[in-house]
Amino acid sequence: MSVQTQTRETARVPVSRRVVRRVGARREARREGAFGYLMISLAVIFVAVFTFIPIIASLGLSLFSWDVITPPKFVGMANFERLGADGSVLQSFGVTLVLAIGIVLLQLCLGLGLAVLVNQRKKTWSKTFFRTTFYLPLLASTAAVSIFMGYLFDAKFGVFNYYLTSIGLPAIPWLTNPVGAMVTMILVTVWQQVGFTFVLFVAALTSVPKDVLEAAAIDGAGPARTLFRVKIPLISPTILFAAVVAMINAMQLFDQPFIMTKGGPGTATTTATILMYQAGFQNLQFGYASAIAIVLLLIILVITGIQFLAARKLVFYQ
Amino acid sequence: MTNAFRTVVDRRTLLKLGAAGFASAGLASLAGCSSAGAGGGSGPRTIKMLYFGQQSAATTLQKSLQPQIKKLDKTATLEVSAINGTDWNDFLAKVLTQIASGSAPDLVSVATEGLQLMASKELLIPLDSYVTKDMSSLQSYFDDIHPALIESMMYQGHLYELPDSFNAGSMFYSTDIVQKAGLSSPAAGWTMDDFHTYATKMGGLGGNVNAFDWVVRLWGSWTSFLYANDGNLLEEGKYSGGDWLWKKAYAKNPTAAAGRGGGWKWGTPTANSPAAVEALEYLIDLQRSKLSPSPDVGGGGTLQGLFSSGRIGMTIGGGFWAGGLHNAGMKNGSFDVQLFPTWKSNKSLFGAGGYGIFNSSKNKDLAWEVVKMMVRPESFDIMFPGNVTTPGRKSLMTAERYKTTGPEHWSVFYDQLNGSVPISAPPYYNALATSLNQRTTQAISSGNAKAALDGMQADFEKAAKAS
Repeated sequence: MSVQTQTRETARVPVSRRVVRRVGARREARREGAFGYLMISLAVIFVAVFTFIPIIASLGLSLFSWDVITPPKFVGMANFERLGADGSVLQSFGVTLVLAIGIVLLQLCLGLGLAVLVNQRKKTWSKTFFRTTFYLPLLASTAAVSIFMGYLFDAKFGVFNYYLTSIGLPAIPWLTNPVGAMVTMILVTVWQQVGFTFVLFVAALTSVPKDVLEAAAIDGAGPARTLFRVKIPLISPTILFAAVVAMINAMQLFDQPFIMTKGGPGTATTTATILMYQAGFQNLQFGYASAIAIVLLLIILVITGIQFLAARKLVFYQ
Repeated sequence: MTNAFRTVVDRRTLLKLGAAGFASAGLASLAGCSSAGAGGGSGPRTIKMLYFGQQSAATTLQKSLQPQIKKLDKTATLEVSAINGTDWNDFLAKVLTQIASGSAPDLVSVATEGLQLMASKELLIPLDSYVTKDMSSLQSYFDDIHPALIESMMYQGHLYELPDSFNAGSMFYSTDIVQKAGLSSPAAGWTMDDFHTYATKMGGLGGNVNAFDWVVRLWGSWTSFLYANDGNLLEEGKYSGGDWLWKKAYAKNPTAAAGRGGGWKWGTPTANSPAAVEALEYLIDLQRSKLSPSPDVGGGGTLQGLFSSGRIGMTIGGGFWAGGLHNAGMKNGSFDVQLFPTWKSNKSLFGAGGYGIFNSSKNKDLAWEVVKMMVRPESFDIMFPGNVTTPGRKSLMTAERYKTTGPEHWSVFYDQLNGSVPISAPPYYNALATSLNQRTTQAISSGNAKAALDGMQADFEKAAKAS
C-alpha cells in the first residue's frame, strides 16, 4: 500500500473511529511493553538482588564500623581514611595488580598462540579435540584445581620438583618463596582460564574474511605478516573483549592463592579479595572490608576505562 | 506477530503479580520470624547446635543423641548443623557469619580459640548460676576432669563452657623411622638437645624421609617450641575471681585448684621476645638443615598423610592423632607418642573443647540440660567416635580405649596437661591467627625470624588496640 493511498483511506475514516483506533493501538503498545518488561523482569530482579543491591549495601556498610555481633556504628569516611594509611592494603592492591597483569598478558598471548595453531589445522576432528581439551579445565572447580595444584607444586613432595630433581635440576620453592608463589598463581590461573580466551580467539579467527586473507597472500604476505598485519587487527575487538574480561576476573583473584598459599608466604599472594575476606570474615571488620571492596570496584572500573580508551587507538572495527 | 501478545499479562495483572510476589515474600519472612520465636513457647522445642565437622557426622550425632534428648524433654528435638572448616579459625568465621544472618543456635561447641571472643562479645552466657545450682549432680564431673581444662573455659571470673575434650601438644614419632635411625624410643623428660639428636639421626636416613614436620597455626606449631622455651605470644596472666567454683567444685582436692583464677588473661604482645625469636629460628634452622620441609598453613591433612606414609619421623600432635593416624591406615605400634621435649621449661600448650549456650537462645534451661548430658562419660564416644580427640574426663583415658588405635604411651596425652598453658587466644584471636600465619610464612621464606616477629608484634599490638 502506497503512502498516498493510505492517506486517502485515512481521510475517509470518521474522526471518532480514528480516535478509537489510536486508543487501541496504544493499548496494544502497552501490552507489548508489559510483556517485554515481564520477559526481562527475571534478569533485572536477578541482577538487582545479586549485583546492584549488594553493591549499594556494601557502599553503605563501608560508612559503618560493624563486627557482625554488635550494632553497626556510623563512622563516615573513617574506613576509607584508614584504608589510605594502611600499608597492607596498598601492598595487597600492588600484589593484585602485578598478578592481574601477568595473568592477562600470558592468557592473551597463550590463548592467541593456541588459537592460531588450532585454526591452521585442516581436519575438523582435530580442531574439535583441541577446542575441547583446552576448554575442559575451565569447567573444573577452581577449588578442586587449586587443591590439586597445591600438591603438584609442593616444594618437597610435589610432582614437578620430583621430575626437576630427577633430571639433576634444583627443586623450585614454588609456593614457599614470594616470587615462586606469584609465578605459580599466574601459571595455575592461566592454565585454567586460557580455554575461555582460546575459544574466543578461535571463533574470531574463523570469522576473518577469506578474501582479505587471499588478498594478503596475493600481495606476498607470509604467515607471520598475515597474522600481525591482517588477522590480529581484524580480531582486535575480540582481543579487547578478552582483555577486559580477563582483567576483571584477575583483579578478583581469590580461590587459588587462598587455597594454595593462604595469601603467603608472608603477604606475597595476599590479593585485595583475600584481604577483604580477612578483614571481614576473620577480623570481623565488615565496614572496613566493604571499603576495600568499593575501592577495588573503582580500580576495576578505572582499569576497564583505560582499556577502552586505549582501544580507540588500537582496536580496528570493520 | 502482534496478535500473539494479546493474551499475555497486561500491566494491571503484572502489578497484581508483583504485589502478590512481595506479599508472599513478606509472609515468608514473617513465617520465618514466627518459627524462630516459637522456640520459647510451650510447644515442641528444638535445640539447635553447631558442630565442627561434616554434615554426615552431624546427622549421625543428631540421631544418636535424640533418644537422650527425649529423656530430658519428650517434646524436645535436637538439630545438629555441621560447619566445615580447615581449622577453628575457619569454623569461627562461619559461626559468626551465621549469627550475623540472624540464625544463632542454642548451643555451640567452641574450642579455646573462640571462647574469649564469644564471651567478650556476650554471645555466650556465663554458666555460673547453672553450675552452682547443679553442683551436687556435677560433682562427679569436676572430680573427673583436669582443673586446667575448666580454667581454660573461664573468662573474667565466669565459666562459659563445660569442657569435655582437649588436645595437648605432645611429640609423635614413627617407630619404624626411630628404629631405622638406630634410636630407641625417647624417654619421658627428654630435652631439646635429645630432640635435635633424634632429628639429625633421622635426617641422616636420606631418601624422602624428613626428620620433623609441622603446621603453621596457633596450636602445636612453632608455638610448642616457644612454650617449651618459656615464652608465649602474649603476656600470661589470670583474671581474678572463680573462687565460687574452685572452693566448691574442688573442695576435696584443693591442691588441684591451687593457683587457679578466673580464666587466662592475655596481656601485652610478646611475639618478638628473645624466646620467640630463638624458637622460630630453631625451626627455620631445621628447614635449612633439610631436617624439616616447608610447613603447610592451617589444617593438618597433608602432614597426616605424610606421617602415615612413613615420610616424617616426628611431629607435634595430641590425642586426636591416635584416631587420625589409625583412620589414615597406620597400625597400632607403627607410631607412638612422648611428652614434648623440655627446653628452658617443661611448659607445653593445649586447647580444650566444650559446650556453651548462646545468649540469644530461647531455651536456655533445656540447653543447659543438654550441655550436662553431653559431658557425661557415656556421651563422649557418641560425640567423638574413634579417638579423634582426647577425653577431658580422666576416667575415660583407659588402655581399652587405645587398644585398637594405639599409641602405646597413650597416658602421655593426659600427663602433658601438667604444667601446660592453653593456647593464647584473646578476644582478638582471629586477627592474631591471621597475623601468626602470615608472619610465620614470611619468616620461613625470608629466613629472617626477627623481622617477621617484629611485624607480628606490630600486628598484635594493632589488633589488641582495636579490640
